[in-house]
Amino acid sequence: MVAPAVALLLAFLALPAVYIGWLSLNVSTYGQSARFVGLANYAELLGDPVFWRATRNTFVVVNAIVIGELALGLGLAVLMQGRVPAKPVIIAILLAPYAITESSGIVMWRYMLEPDVGMVTHVLARLGLGQLEWSTDPVATLALASLIAIWHHLPFTFLILYAALTTVPRDVLEAARIDGAGAFQAFRLVTLRLIMPALLIAVLFRYIFAIRTFAEIWLLTEGGPARLSEVLAIYLYRETFKYHQFGMASATGVVMLAMSLLIALPYLRRMFREVVRGG
Amino acid sequence: MARRRRGVEAVRLALVALAVAWSALPILLVVLASFKEARDIFEVPPRLLFAPTLANYQALWAERPEFFRALGSSLVVTLGTALVTIVVSTLAGYVLARHRNRLLNGTAFGMVALRMLPPIIVTVPLFPVLNALRLNDTHLLLVLLYAAFYVSLGTWIMRAFVARLPLELEDAAAVDGAGLGQILVRVVLPLAVQGVIAVAIFVVVFAWNEYVFALIFTTRDARTAPVVIGEMLGTVEGVQWGVIFAAATVQLVPVLALVIVLQRYLVAGLTAGAVKE
Repeated sequence: MVAPAVALLLAFLALPAVYIGWLSLNVSTYGQSARFVGLANYAELLGDPVFWRATRNTFVVVNAIVIGELALGLGLAVLMQGRVPAKPVIIAILLAPYAITESSGIVMWRYMLEPDVGMVTHVLARLGLGQLEWSTDPVATLALASLIAIWHHLPFTFLILYAALTTVPRDVLEAARIDGAGAFQAFRLVTLRLIMPALLIAVLFRYIFAIRTFAEIWLLTEGGPARLSEVLAIYLYRETFKYHQFGMASATGVVMLAMSLLIALPYLRRMFREVVRGG
Repeated sequence: MARRRRGVEAVRLALVALAVAWSALPILLVVLASFKEARDIFEVPPRLLFAPTLANYQALWAERPEFFRALGSSLVVTLGTALVTIVVSTLAGYVLARHRNRLLNGTAFGMVALRMLPPIIVTVPLFPVLNALRLNDTHLLLVLLYAAFYVSLGTWIMRAFVARLPLELEDAAAVDGAGLGQILVRVVLPLAVQGVIAVAIFVVVFAWNEYVFALIFTTRDARTAPVVIGEMLGTVEGVQWGVIFAAATVQLVPVLALVIVLQRYLVAGLTAGAVKE
């Protein structure tokens, strides 16, 4: 009865993931059989400035997304603990961006930030801040892509932290206050400590998922101009579907996989202990 | 003191209002603009009260028949993915909840580990293989791919929900002569229906909205709505904003309604998949 699930996972995830390990050691493209080249693809990757640019961009975007989401999500979760009129309706509205597809999200933010005509563009100009040149300036592209990604995924971070905060018992907090802790101190010493497991899970999952960032940037600039706003997922996509360098693409995939597993390692180790040894 | 507390409360509610605006305004503005004439769309400040027009929707219908075909594809793929994922996850989740041994525990862990893998990396070897199998640009392929991405979470959710059910009911049904299939359908499923809904909402939102894999693995016949919206945005001859807004509105209404109605299941699903039951 577990077989169908295992078959799906093996066919579409596990085996291809193992296979790219082998493929990354070969030169492979259409119309010729793969040739074993050892680590040559990795050497070429490390010598490619575009790869380094994509890696740096990924690092910046991923951290901007996760830290931004954590700050906003935690703040919002705390704000929503108090009394709020029509709370279920408010929460439903806060979750709405989760339901929006990435391409529509781009439509919505471009509508506000379109050069010359967008309404936020007008406001920025009125404030003397100039335009957000997201279509030509890679820094602005990455900033807008991060902003849109935060908008899409804040519901996830918020919901986990909000659910965790509601489980913090009130009497523990009150005891801390009676013992003379200030509001901030009580939050830091009691609340934050109690929700830390949930917070770490949220952060870990967001790191894992943010490494996959593709659509936000692809739909804004396709990684341009001159490949300056690429992230690793776009680099891999180009190597595969534009240049048909499957060995290079696989090496990029191995790098992305290694990054993800490295971040997930503490979590996976704990799950292994709980599920396999203790279960 | 009381005045200060009231001040803090006012600031708190103002910040909540700001968060509501941040979440809702981008969506609301696009939905409103989809009912505006082309010349009014970029009016600053945007007018909230205006005479609505269906011109953008008529233009979408007349000029972009591929959008409605893509919407049909999205529907087929979403329902197919939901069905496959729910059936497969329920079977696996039931076994993992009721039986423990080295192999099964290892499988449960393997599912968690596979969720860490960035899915885009599998496109490199899959694309040529699926091309040879003539599966590219089919609904079936997207269904299988999406189900593969969500069967881990689905299995863990179902495992958590089944584990909460008392064993006695299943034992009683077995004593009455019910087979495993009957027990699953008659006893387990009705009691674990909340788990099924939790799995369904995650899968439906994902499959309805997925962009990258639909972009890579479909060209014409199985093109889904998110990809067509992306294409409409990328046209060289100037973006027809009103028509895109109409398309985005049509695409988002059903799934947004679903998320709002079923929001309480999201928390259950998030926690079941991430931490120990």
